[in-house]
Amino acid sequence: MLFEEMIKNDQLVIGDKQFESRLFTGTGKFNDQQTMVAALKASRSELVTMALKRVDMQHRDDDILAPLIKNGMNLLPNTSGARNAKEAVFAAELAREALQTNWVKLEIHPDPKYLLPDPIETLKAAEVLASKGFVVLPYVHADPVLCKHLESVGCAAVMPLGAPIGSNKGIKTAEFLEIIIEQANVPVIVDAGLGSPSHAALAMEMGADAVLVNTAIAVAGNPVAMSEAFAKAVQAGRQAYLSGLGGQSTEAVASSPLTAFLEASL
Amino acid sequence: MKIQVNEQALTLPSAMNIEQLLTHLEKPLMGSAVAVNMQVINRSEWNQYDINEGDNISLFQAIAGG
Repeated sequence: MLFEEMIKNDQLVIGDKQFESRLFTGTGKFNDQQTMVAALKASRSELVTMALKRVDMQHRDDDILAPLIKNGMNLLPNTSGARNAKEAVFAAELAREALQTNWVKLEIHPDPKYLLPDPIETLKAAEVLASKGFVVLPYVHADPVLCKHLESVGCAAVMPLGAPIGSNKGIKTAEFLEIIIEQANVPVIVDAGLGSPSHAALAMEMGADAVLVNTAIAVAGNPVAMSEAFAKAVQAGRQAYLSGLGGQSTEAVASSPLTAFLEASL
Repeated sequence: MKIQVNEQALTLPSAMNIEQLLTHLEKPLMGSAVAVNMQVINRSEWNQYDINEGDNISLFQAIAGG
């Protein structure tokens, strides 16, 4: 089957939305707005994250929203900055009004050093937000039991981490991501830590439904070209997953027939 | 009318609703969120929700983030 045919029947559905691209991107850390928009376009991403902040009364902020909307991108506001469930619910309600979407990337990380998500507060907030009609995508550690709990309280997807946010370390949680992917009945989006296209491809080969990349694109020498590289890697990884990867073995398995055809001539 | 906006004391020249306050402060409507006394106000109510003396207003803005 041609890949074109293969992907035609392979759309990702989360909540009420259907996605052709399995690469989600963040808008943070770009040097300037023009580069950000060009990189996001090159990524062909259909879902991009945003954050909220308290308005600085003295300064005017850049309007980054207009170019994103103009380019038809779906917005995924996050709750970054929330340290507990109560703050996250408040942030999600603000984000819904600011961006006019009931989608939310739920992230609660009280510790600024490693930015690791608080599982207890995240589960509490997820339950409240799902009951209020939000499409909740929680950022969590690669914890299979927690992911099942989040699924059961109504999350539309789960977003387990590969490595700490912005660390570019790749998939350090592979064994646990595999369990999450095996058990999940909602899409699994590997988020955080993916530092190179090969990391993204690996996540997709493992059967992740999508990946979210921000830092690795934004801080690259050429963010626009890197964005395209990630898009290709995600597509290649997905194609490999759908094609059925060959199994591994400890001993060699000959690729050429061992027919001993030279022995007779000696 | 005296109010607080993001922890800053402010005197408004006249009575106004939330939409008028944002315009008065030269803040964009798009991408903004408003809470009055820590209660998030729906965007659809901004042009009817009158600000009262002593209100504690919090203004938020969508920004880049991952």
